[in-house]
Amino acid sequence: MIAVRNLSKKYGTNEVLKNINIQFDKGKVYGIVGENGAGKTTLFRCIADLEDYEGEISSNPNPIKNHLGLLLTEPFFFQKITGKEYIQLLCNARDIKISDIDNRNIFDLPLNQYASTYSTGMKKKLALTAILLQSNEYFIFDEPFNGVDIQSNIVITEIIHKLKELDKTVIISSHIFSTLSDTCDEIHLLSNGSFIKSVQKADFSALETEMKQMTIGNKIEKLGLT
Amino acid sequence: MTNRRFKDIGFEPLLAYLILTVGFFGLSINLFHKTEFAEYIYLLSSLTLIGKLSETRRTEFLKICFGYTKLKKIRVTENLICSLPFLIFLLYKQLFLSGLLLLVLTTILALLNFRTTINFTIWTPFSKRPFEFTTGFRNTFYVFFAAYALTAIAVSVNNFNLGVFAMLLVFATTLGYYTKPENEYYVWAYNVNGKEFLFSKIKTAIFFSTSLALPIAVAIAIFYPQNIGILSLFFFVGWAFLISVIVSKYSSYPDEMNITQGILLALCIWFPPILVVLIPYLFKKSENRLSNLLK
Repeated sequence: MIAVRNLSKKYGTNEVLKNINIQFDKGKVYGIVGENGAGKTTLFRCIADLEDYEGEISSNPNPIKNHLGLLLTEPFFFQKITGKEYIQLLCNARDIKISDIDNRNIFDLPLNQYASTYSTGMKKKLALTAILLQSNEYFIFDEPFNGVDIQSNIVITEIIHKLKELDKTVIISSHIFSTLSDTCDEIHLLSNGSFIKSVQKADFSALETEMKQMTIGNKIEKLGLT
Repeated sequence: MTNRRFKDIGFEPLLAYLILTVGFFGLSINLFHKTEFAEYIYLLSSLTLIGKLSETRRTEFLKICFGYTKLKKIRVTENLICSLPFLIFLLYKQLFLSGLLLLVLTTILALLNFRTTINFTIWTPFSKRPFEFTTGFRNTFYVFFAAYALTAIAVSVNNFNLGVFAMLLVFATTLGYYTKPENEYYVWAYNVNGKEFLFSKIKTAIFFSTSLALPIAVAIAIFYPQNIGILSLFFFVGWAFLISVIVSKYSSYPDEMNITQGILLALCIWFPPILVVLIPYLFKKSENRLSNLLK
């Protein structure tokens, strides 16, 4: 369980998160949606304890960062480190002994090649594999489906279902609504640093329609396409 | 960008350029004083340096921005500017043929582009505990071959000092693995506190540097058993410097090491006993700096 109470975050005078209150329970999958700059990544960084913030974030088990698998939008890779070594590095960091990395390479990545030479999708799959092998309790996936091929998208969706089954807490952000409606129990809409709407599974399609309406409006007409 | 980098490490760009110019000519004079092959080493190093500008992705970016014709002009101008210090020194030494050769090759290099990074995976004995030695070894493996060759030469020509130099070369190379701060994710990911994190980094560094330097130390010790004492002292000094660089790096993390730390480390080279005070001080400072990321 992760409980976020009165969370605010400022960069200088720019308030990116405004008094956020939310609870993420065990065995549930949460979707966070919002436009670019709405504050999704900042929220994730605060939960991960990568940022200072005002307010309180508590968890059980604690500290959250030692039990959290964080998939960043654009994972960073060292030059001249292979896929296998990357996984080894992240497992060493959590003191996880792992001997059968090749067998657990479900995305068929070229693990003996330098990770920096991987495509965007392959990098994401490698980063995801590494955090899955860390045996975490919580998972934050920031845009897990971006740049990933359709087959792997199916695999990632199944992985999220499995994590739910294993009673893990999963938080996902995605700009592809269908990926969230397939996996999430709840979706929270973040706008200008505040949650403006929270919906349960039954109301996902209504939310999608509302978001389309809100986002598109008459913008296409403004283009004056002929 | 170069100016920004100088400012980031706390250097006034003008002063930095002055120091670099003096350093460059100092090193050049020293090189020509030391070896008869200086002319060839000089040409090769200048072309290697200038060749970095011919990197494919860089050239592609310039081509997109400026178009093909302008690209060639820019690349030739860049290469000529970069070769200028080398050219001036060669002319000063009245090595006109080498100067002309450098000029021609520099211009040809501007018309070529190639990848400066190789994509095949270089084997490393440090795969199990990434990342510093894993990536560092891949970048500098040839230095270790050179150090082992120097050790063999030291033994064959009966030169103990050369053997010690080879051993210190290994340590000096491994120090370089710890000079740049890594992305915060790779510190944050650890489930230990700052102190445990630092101990783990130091333990790995000592273990791996020893595995590289020990063959040299053993070879020298076998042939110069009377000098085991001084050899051991140098070995410990190598470890001490390695530890000091690690704690220096994390004492300013996530920023790069600053000029004060550089001066302190330089002072330690002049008078190594300072390390006894410096290491615990920087260790404590590192613990504080890491406390934000490691709980």
